[in-house]
Amino acid sequence: MAVHSISVKELISRVRLVFPDAPEAYIINLINDALVEIGMFKTKVVHAKISTTANKMYYNLADGAQDSSNNKLEANHILRVYLMDNEGDYIQIPRLLDKNLLLADATSEDNVNAPD
Amino acid sequence: MASNIKYPENDAMYFIEGDALALITKVDSSGNGRTTARKQFKAISEAVTDGILIHYYAEPNSVTAITDSLDIDNALELSVVDYVKKCLYMDKAGKTADPNVMQASMAMATKHERNFKEAIQRYGVRKKDKTGGSRAVKVPNLV
Repeated sequence: MAVHSISVKELISRVRLVFPDAPEAYIINLINDALVEIGMFKTKVVHAKISTTANKMYYNLADGAQDSSNNKLEANHILRVYLMDNEGDYIQIPRLLDKNLLLADATSEDNVNAPD
Repeated sequence: MASNIKYPENDAMYFIEGDALALITKVDSSGNGRTTARKQFKAISEAVTDGILIHYYAEPNSVTAITDSLDIDNALELSVVDYVKKCLYMDKAGKTADPNVMQASMAMATKHERNFKEAIQRYGVRKKDKTGGSRAVKVPNLV
């Protein structure tokens, strides 16, 4: 049996049974609001590749950040991070709990917010 | 192009600082360990195309046209209908001068809001959880 899913058009028609005069653009805005709220929960798992830059410590994960194929990351919560080894395989690396590094790499911190 | 790091699991670590992923390693651009113990961990020393692979929870794609499909599991789609109706009922309650219509609209808005929250917050993950099968534990070999 085919999987049933509804398109935006079908969703609008369901809403218009109750609100026949609701503008289409407004409903689409509300749908996007709902998707943002749903996105705060664990609904979509994706993976992305980012290229490293020599002597760069911080890599951007903000809403506008892009992967190495210029696709927007839209990351909410990082699950795992892998780093390529000398054979081209991705090896999972541990997350550092104590962030009190002695060395602050100031010259490469272009993804840390500076006061403006 | 592969990196020069032979054992990333031992020589590299990451942490999250706000909206940034910080990557630190204790090897130089040739893959040799840094000799200064005090300043052992620094930013990665080499540029590697596609060097980092991350797995993460992402936001669903937005919709722009009526022909689009929702970028969520179909078990969660009806909750979007509830969200839209909740907002429209609240708008209706805010616009009307009739207290009866206002009261009825607010009641319907509350009902749809409850449906949305229950679907997403209480059952959202469970509804689309595909975990199954027998369990096993694989201990990583760190030698």
